[in-house]
Amino acid sequence: MQDSELLHDGLALMALGMGFVFVFLTVLVVSVTLMSKLIGRFQPAPIASNTNKTTLSPAATSDQDGETLAVISAAVHRYRMARRR
Amino acid sequence: MDKLLTLWEGSGLYNLELGQLVMVVVGLLLLYLAIYKKFEPLLLVPIGFGGILANIPEAGLAISALDQAIAVARPAVLQQIASALGATLDPLAGADAWRETLKLVVGNGSSPDQLRAAHDIASFAGYSDGLLYVFYSMAIATGIAPLIIFMGVGAMTDFGPLLANPRTLFLGAAAQFGIFATLFGAVAMSAMGWMDFTLNQSAAIGIIGGADGPTSIYVSSMLAPELLGAIAVAAYAYMALVPLIQPPIMRLLTTQKEREIKMTQLRPVSKLEKVVFPLLLLMLVALFLPDAAPLLGMFCFGNLMRECGVVERLSDTAQNALINIVTIVLGLAVGSKLMAESFLALETLGIMALGMVAFAIGTASGVVMAKVMNIVSRMPINPLIGAAGVSAVPMAARVANKVGLESNPHNFLLMHAMGPNVAGVIGSAVAAGVMIKYLG
Repeated sequence: MQDSELLHDGLALMALGMGFVFVFLTVLVVSVTLMSKLIGRFQPAPIASNTNKTTLSPAATSDQDGETLAVISAAVHRYRMARRR
Repeated sequence: MDKLLTLWEGSGLYNLELGQLVMVVVGLLLLYLAIYKKFEPLLLVPIGFGGILANIPEAGLAISALDQAIAVARPAVLQQIASALGATLDPLAGADAWRETLKLVVGNGSSPDQLRAAHDIASFAGYSDGLLYVFYSMAIATGIAPLIIFMGVGAMTDFGPLLANPRTLFLGAAAQFGIFATLFGAVAMSAMGWMDFTLNQSAAIGIIGGADGPTSIYVSSMLAPELLGAIAVAAYAYMALVPLIQPPIMRLLTTQKEREIKMTQLRPVSKLEKVVFPLLLLMLVALFLPDAAPLLGMFCFGNLMRECGVVERLSDTAQNALINIVTIVLGLAVGSKLMAESFLALETLGIMALGMVAFAIGTASGVVMAKVMNIVSRMPINPLIGAAGVSAVPMAARVANKVGLESNPHNFLLMHAMGPNVAGVIGSAVAAGVMIKYLG
């Protein structure tokens, strides 16, 4: 008698638990999908800002490169001048 | 000569019981598995070492001051303890018989007041709580250590793949069937008279199938502390065995064609989505299942610290220093539960067997769920990633990736498998919440 009660309890907990896990995660799936859609609508796609950054940064680095190049050639020039004397 | 005798009677060799010897060997075995076989070494090294410490005869590292006093104190102290507990000692019987009586009295049927008084007497007589006992009551009995580890896990988890493909949450849900099927298995074994598990104990055993160390420790500390040692060892040992347990089941349940299915590239996920997700999850937990709030609350907190990007120092501490400290304490505290009296029982073998079944069923139901989803949905899902629904982050995802590569060397499933993998963490925490709600 007690055994069957235990079995019954176990079965009930199994059904309840599995059911709840599924319900909870289904709600989570729905709300995550909604959230992503909402954010996608109100915030323009993140790719745009990314490309902006990438186009900016090479320009900055090439600028820097030009400056260093100038400095280095000036230094080399000076060095050579010094050597000649 | 007398002094020599005292020294001999105080030695470990004289007092060593067979059970303790066996447990020391078990501890050494765990250390061997951790060090040479690389079985979850971060936990099994402290657990194995703690298990050895807990079984050093006479040292009493894993027992309270009261138990220690009962085991070794002078007869006068025993009499004081007995009067505090309201027990009567037979004056004719020897001190050894008194110790037995007192053990029984403490074990069942003393009010908290009496126990506290007896504990005070023991402390006054110079006995103190063992180191591992203190770790246990501080870290596990309060539930703090598993929760802090969960926070660290949250801080290490990237929900990007899950957010890119939320349907993989279903795979994480399906794999939790392992938990509940094992629960039912344990109950059925008791009903048939093979084992003697209560419903609470069965639930704690089932949670091994969640493949999530901190969750199983948390649940068993609440529902069945007496089985905690065996459950934690089974959980971590099988987590390490995931690469051996899962692939045969995955191959058995899928065809070559299914294993070759290529999945579409995941879309990029914006930072805002990642910041909002832990808050959204927290709100849902608050609304639907407050009993899972300790576990998932800490998890979400850790994840928010990671994603919000303004508290990098805290996030770094949660992922590294703090989780390491807590792991040491947690491992030693679990080791304290590897005492011969409680661990060397038929039940332990039952727990080990059921734990294995739990993993196998969880893996199988994840794969089957993925196949079902494949029939329903238009976007192709490789059934192998269903196996990653048992949490065991990131081991299960790596296994899915590896089995996928065997079938098609150009098919990388790792990122796709991370989705169900982290979904499994959420799923097992929800399952834990349901069990605590129902049985706690």
